[in-house]
Amino acid sequence: MPFANRVLIPLLCIGLAVGAAACAKKAAETPSTTPAQLSVTGLDLGRSVGGDKRVTEKVSDFRPHDVIYASVLTSGASPNAVLRARWTFGDGQLVSESEQTIAPSGDAATEFHVSKPDGWPVGKYKVEVFLNGTPAQSKDFEVK
Amino acid sequence: MGLFGSKDDKKKDKPKADFSNVQSGGSSTAPSPAIPAGKTYVVQKGDSLSKIAKREYGNANDWPRIFEANRDIIKDPDLIHPGQTLKIPSA
Repeated sequence: MPFANRVLIPLLCIGLAVGAAACAKKAAETPSTTPAQLSVTGLDLGRSVGGDKRVTEKVSDFRPHDVIYASVLTSGASPNAVLRARWTFGDGQLVSESEQTIAPSGDAATEFHVSKPDGWPVGKYKVEVFLNGTPAQSKDFEVK
Repeated sequence: MGLFGSKDDKKKDKPKADFSNVQSGGSSTAPSPAIPAGKTYVVQKGDSLSKIAKREYGNANDWPRIFEANRDIIKDPDLIHPGQTLKIPSA
């Protein structure tokens, strides 16, 4: 084997091996740089929310003339996600349904609120939260 | 029906609460999507993408627009489920 080949071939092999290792490392690192998928991490009810859209005091019992707030806590990122709140009374009678389209890049809070000028009928209620149409969390509450 | 009526009859007699004047709203710390999302539509029983496209755009053949806007939740355009919330791109 000529001298040039004896030197060049091993060098070429080393170069290819280093390149392959670098590619493998890059592929393995990719998932850690991908933003976490958006998920609902909490649902709180209260009579008011602060500027951070979180309820100031968590409650599960309300009075007939309260404005009822549901604060939905999310984690992760999404360029376009739909949060839907579905409020029901008693055995499932629909009270209200509304949506918020959000594009969070990290932890976020989204509030939904409902009010009834002539007062809520006393009884048991439920709020269900859906993320992109999939049930995420729900909470029962009562108007007394 | 028995002398005192059945349990079901009593259920039927109970008036439903009136929630027609309920006011609702909301806000978020998260920004809105950079590209206007258009409106959304909640899939009802018996819906298909063609039916929704016909209703929203007046042309059933426009269904791929809805499919493309919802690729994240629709894997098969022939298979959508009641309760799914679809993004409807502006006409």
